[in-house]
Amino acid sequence: MSWIAWTMPFDFEEPIWLWLCLLVPILIAVSIRSLAGIEPIRRVLSIAVRCLLVVLVAFCLAGVQSVQRNEDLTVLYLMDRSHSVQEMQEKQEQFIIESTKEMPPDDRAGMIDFARNAYLQQLPMRGGYFIAPGRLPVMPNTDRTDIATAVRLAMAMFPHDTAKRIVLMSDGNDNMGDLLTEARRAKANGVPVDVVPLQYRRSNEVFFERLIAPTHASPGEQVPLRMVLNTTKPVSGTILVYRNGDLLQMPSDQSRVSLKPGRNTFFIKIPIESEITQSYEAIFRPDRQSDDSVALNNTSRAFTFVSGSSRVLVISGGLPDDQPMVDALRSENVLVDLVTPAELGDFLLPDMMSYSTIVLSNVPAASFTEAQQEALAIYVKDMGSGLIMTGGDEGFGAGGWIGTKLEEVMPVTFEIKHKRVIPRGALVLIMHSCEIARGNFWGKEMAKKSVDTVSSQDYIGVLTYTYSPGGENWEVPFDRNRNKSAVKAQIDRMQMGDMPDFGRTMQMAYKELANGRGRDAAQKHVIIMSDGDASPPSPKLLADYKKAKITVSTIALGWGGHVFQPTMIKIAKATGGRFYAARNPKQLPQIFTKESKVVRRPLIIDEPFQPVTINPNSDLLAGGAISGSMPPLGGMVLTSPKQSPNVVVPIVRATDDGEDPVLAHWQYELGKTVAFTSGYWAHWGQQWTGWPKFAKFWAQIVRWTMRQDTPANFDTYTKIEGNRGRIVIDALDKDASYLNNLAAQARVIGPNNEVIPTRFMQTGPGKYEAVFEVTKAGQYLANVRMSDQGRDLGTLRTGLTVPFSPEYRDLIPNEALLRQVVDITDGRWLDQGPMQADVFSHDLPLTEARKPAWEWVLAWLLLPLFLLDVAVRRLASWLALSIAVEVVVLFVMLFGLGVWYGAWWGILGAILLAELIGWTIRFRYIGPIFDYMTHSVTALGRAGERSAASLDKLKDVRERVLDEREDVGKEKLERISQDDEPVSIKTAKRKYEATGGRVAGRSGDLSATLGGAQSEEKSQGKPKSKPGETKPEEEQEDATSRLLRAKRRARKDIEE
Amino acid sequence: MTYEQLNLVALELSTFNPESVPLFSMLICRHAFTVPLLIIIFAVGCNPSASTTRDVLAVFGRTGFGDGDFSYPRAIAVSPDGSVYAVDKTARVQKFDSNGVFLLGWKMPDRAAGKPIGLSVHRDGRVFVADTHYHRVVIFDPMGNQLATFGELGTGDGQFQLPTDVAFDQQGNVYVSEYGGNDRITKWSPDFHFLSAMGEKPIDGVRLNRPAGIDIDVEQSLWVADACNHRIVHMTLDGETLATYGEMGRESGKFRYPYDVDVSSSRMVMVAEFGGDRLQWLDKKGRFLQTWGSSGRKPGELSAPWGAAYGPNKNVYVVDSLNNRVQIIKP
Repeated sequence: MSWIAWTMPFDFEEPIWLWLCLLVPILIAVSIRSLAGIEPIRRVLSIAVRCLLVVLVAFCLAGVQSVQRNEDLTVLYLMDRSHSVQEMQEKQEQFIIESTKEMPPDDRAGMIDFARNAYLQQLPMRGGYFIAPGRLPVMPNTDRTDIATAVRLAMAMFPHDTAKRIVLMSDGNDNMGDLLTEARRAKANGVPVDVVPLQYRRSNEVFFERLIAPTHASPGEQVPLRMVLNTTKPVSGTILVYRNGDLLQMPSDQSRVSLKPGRNTFFIKIPIESEITQSYEAIFRPDRQSDDSVALNNTSRAFTFVSGSSRVLVISGGLPDDQPMVDALRSENVLVDLVTPAELGDFLLPDMMSYSTIVLSNVPAASFTEAQQEALAIYVKDMGSGLIMTGGDEGFGAGGWIGTKLEEVMPVTFEIKHKRVIPRGALVLIMHSCEIARGNFWGKEMAKKSVDTVSSQDYIGVLTYTYSPGGENWEVPFDRNRNKSAVKAQIDRMQMGDMPDFGRTMQMAYKELANGRGRDAAQKHVIIMSDGDASPPSPKLLADYKKAKITVSTIALGWGGHVFQPTMIKIAKATGGRFYAARNPKQLPQIFTKESKVVRRPLIIDEPFQPVTINPNSDLLAGGAISGSMPPLGGMVLTSPKQSPNVVVPIVRATDDGEDPVLAHWQYELGKTVAFTSGYWAHWGQQWTGWPKFAKFWAQIVRWTMRQDTPANFDTYTKIEGNRGRIVIDALDKDASYLNNLAAQARVIGPNNEVIPTRFMQTGPGKYEAVFEVTKAGQYLANVRMSDQGRDLGTLRTGLTVPFSPEYRDLIPNEALLRQVVDITDGRWLDQGPMQADVFSHDLPLTEARKPAWEWVLAWLLLPLFLLDVAVRRLASWLALSIAVEVVVLFVMLFGLGVWYGAWWGILGAILLAELIGWTIRFRYIGPIFDYMTHSVTALGRAGERSAASLDKLKDVRERVLDEREDVGKEKLERISQDDEPVSIKTAKRKYEATGGRVAGRSGDLSATLGGAQSEEKSQGKPKSKPGETKPEEEQEDATSRLLRAKRRARKDIEE
Repeated sequence: MTYEQLNLVALELSTFNPESVPLFSMLICRHAFTVPLLIIIFAVGCNPSASTTRDVLAVFGRTGFGDGDFSYPRAIAVSPDGSVYAVDKTARVQKFDSNGVFLLGWKMPDRAAGKPIGLSVHRDGRVFVADTHYHRVVIFDPMGNQLATFGELGTGDGQFQLPTDVAFDQQGNVYVSEYGGNDRITKWSPDFHFLSAMGEKPIDGVRLNRPAGIDIDVEQSLWVADACNHRIVHMTLDGETLATYGEMGRESGKFRYPYDVDVSSSRMVMVAEFGGDRLQWLDKKGRFLQTWGSSGRKPGELSAPWGAAYGPNKNVYVVDSLNNRVQIIKP
């Protein structure tokens, strides 16, 4: 039916319903008969309206749409701002400016720039391109090019009612996303992609294509490192190789190299000396800097897992405290490394993977960065390793571990959830808006972190200065920290103002902590975050704080300078708190965790107790071999076992108030974790270190948690292919025959600890492959759990390194890809200048915008016409009818067609048209109606005279006819008079027609014509006169006088 | 409706006498009295000095970093020639003509540690900026060329903690207010040598707490906006207290963080209330005269005003800090 759209401004969604229009002739036929009783004009009008109604109903059912054709064009420019074309931004801007200079006034131009992400810089707008050259915001993440995302964004940004065109300016070195799919989508939507190719050729470029090291090796083995370098012209330089951060000394014939144009490969062999994961970094330094244009691509990395005996890492909060345990483990032949958190440095997942189990012995959460905590959790649950946490005053909840990622993997929660009454802590945060960039953001982030760290039993409140109207307020009311997410949401909504004075907020905090709800708290602490330029509190208030044992720590947010420190130092010093000058935002989480922890001291039980074995058959107690009577312990940290069937609690501290876990363990996802809430051997566990079973006890626990080693008969290798990483596993059994139909469950962890979805497929006999996206440079670790029909075969560790983005290795544009896009979308290759390109040429098919119009038809045509139809048939008065028609026409024109919202002459025209129609209907009846309206006696009298005169004429005619009839068929008439009844029925049926003959009586006819219903009633009530009894003279008198009588009666009635 | 019925209605309407229906007449009478009464109550009962947009002559500046834009402007001063200077949180001093047309602007020499919160114009046209976070006062000529600085960090003679405002007496001496633990006002000679310090002792039992704005009137007495004590202190140029006015509150004559005071008008003291989002006028005896402004973003409304100054034709330039604009009003 779209041919309609090309001829008329509407179309139909389901034209089949238009067959309903065939009902029109039937309707006409039926209506002519059923409306036979009304006057011809009304009948015609009514039938016409009804036919129109049927047609409109058919239109509505067919889903009538209005079609607007538009000749305008929208062009969206996509500007490549990735690293490979960073020096060509000016050229691209110039192209846009030049090509939009003479664009047609109704066309629109918009601009999207892209690298890794795409950003809309100018909405499609009429009038040109409005961004001044060089004023584009800085593009983040230029290390990748994702043209597909830019095309997708452009498709979403096009207005729907114009022709569309994309002008892509790029070198075509696309290294993310799927451009061709996006191009096909554009084609399907009728959007051509014109390409402006950005041409360049890097003649001076060297890049380190790959460093290849074996994934696994054994101690003592010589590991071959293969280095692949690529250059555009002969270059000489030096290769430096670092192992685990240390520079390897290589003979000069190996480190000094001369590269020929193209690919160059070098080998070196490096012995493996330790049992930890070896990570290698190789750097090429050209002798002359001018030989190389991009320095970012001269480095490559790789790593090798060293298989050997499983090692355990003990991270200790206090080295002497943990020495007894380490000695005990070594005596049981467990390989142990002992370090402090400070010695760890940049300790991330690949480093952790050198160990099968990590023990956190009395280490606070603040010793680790958030990324390290997250990596520890992944180390357990995804990499299948073991983790043991032991207590001390810095362990578990007391160490600020509440709400961390690590709590999730432990068998106990660090909160006290059961009924016990324990002393509570109370924390108040006072937040001051900071002048540094994003100061308030960091303030809020840290406040939220405190909310996580503080247990739900403790009190927390946040005070700040808010504007409008200005004043200090409890933005988070001081209350128990029960609903952490609600409190965090409140913090997010908080508007921090420029607080004039510390005194008032500190006074408010004091009121709650000393005399309010926080009165009973065992630990009361205030943290002030500020840049120090609020007015200091009075010495009296500080003295009150000290007296009430409320400590205040102050954190200066200023990244170095920009903090007025004296006030903050004074407050911290006077109240026994600490002052921190945060030098960068990264320090803040640790400061906050440490500070919030202050209120968690009540979680520590510092009194001796006798541990009780309640589950002697636990794996950790060697099936009961170690249980039995144990020496007493000097203290512990309170925790609650998790509500999971996997959690086993073999040893507890039994009190009247319930049992607190001392030892708990479980398997969590792939890994195993153990919580020993006591420990702290020099203080709480002196008697344990002398216990004969101490060594056996710990060796048993450590061995239970250790990661299972790789099955020797499985071989893995990895590869980078453009944007993808590939892992291949060859599975052989003992007899070197292929293992088929194995299930491989893989976890791939990216450089930012993100889990990358991966699936293994069997691609050949005993061969399994998985492909995953590598979108960032860095190390990717994979843990693959192999199983054969539910039987666990072990876990494989592997990984690969993406040294740098492919963006940095592009030497020439990828013209082939761009040509392909042009071919797919029927676009143009615009390698000529901007003026010749004719970007705004109107050679695209016109666009149609279709809008459903059936609601409009229903509301503005169907309903008014329906009312009109009723009016035509029911409104006896022509005046009323004409007014009804007039109102409907006016209403539809003013509001339905929207004339009301237009110019005044439109409104005037609508009124004139409606009046014209109205008066046309009224025209024939204007005289009598005028009389009727004035209804003066004279007018009535004249009307009477006129009637009388016309009556005379009528009478004569009838007399003549009657006489003729009487003469011609008297007998026939007599027969009719005998058969009186059917005739009277016929008369009644045709009450509006002038009755011929003598049947109803002549006087009845006249009164019916002039007196309306009343007369008709009378005529019906009158005894019927028989034919032949006609008395013309009497009737003539009668008619006039009866008419007058009737009128008088009517008036009388009205007056009464 | 039939003709008869229509007639009936018409008859009824023509013969209807409202007085004959007791309830109806009562309603009419009541409204005749109560409506005007209500209007009178509303018109008279409201605070007659409440701000109206009618008082706003112009609003200039919008959020941004361009010329004539503001990012949290915090101090304003009008020079004798009618040009207006304002300093904002990007450490830019901008100069406007009396109608708010941007003339020129310059950046403070050092900005990393913090931005200035006060400035004043000497009657010879020099601009004195209280460079708060650099513990000094920086002096510029009207074209923005730096002329001199004085002051350094400390609590001793010739030292500042966080200077907030500058004022001048008839002899050309310079007065600087400061806070940060040693809240006081220091007096400097016209060639910027330290002369004396005042306000270091409690005034009416309370030490100055963040004197955020100072001004000297024609009678050569010093007015101090003692912000965190929510009061105005009137003192002689030798530091002798004459009176203190106000306490914390939202009522007339009370203050919430008064951040600036201006006494260039001979009869009145104008106070800008940072926490109260309004300007308040007192007479020289501290009696409340009127207020202007309420919290909001519309013209005639204020959000955290840090300062206000009298300009040509007794117009008031109020720096509407959080709304990043200056309003010129004629209260």
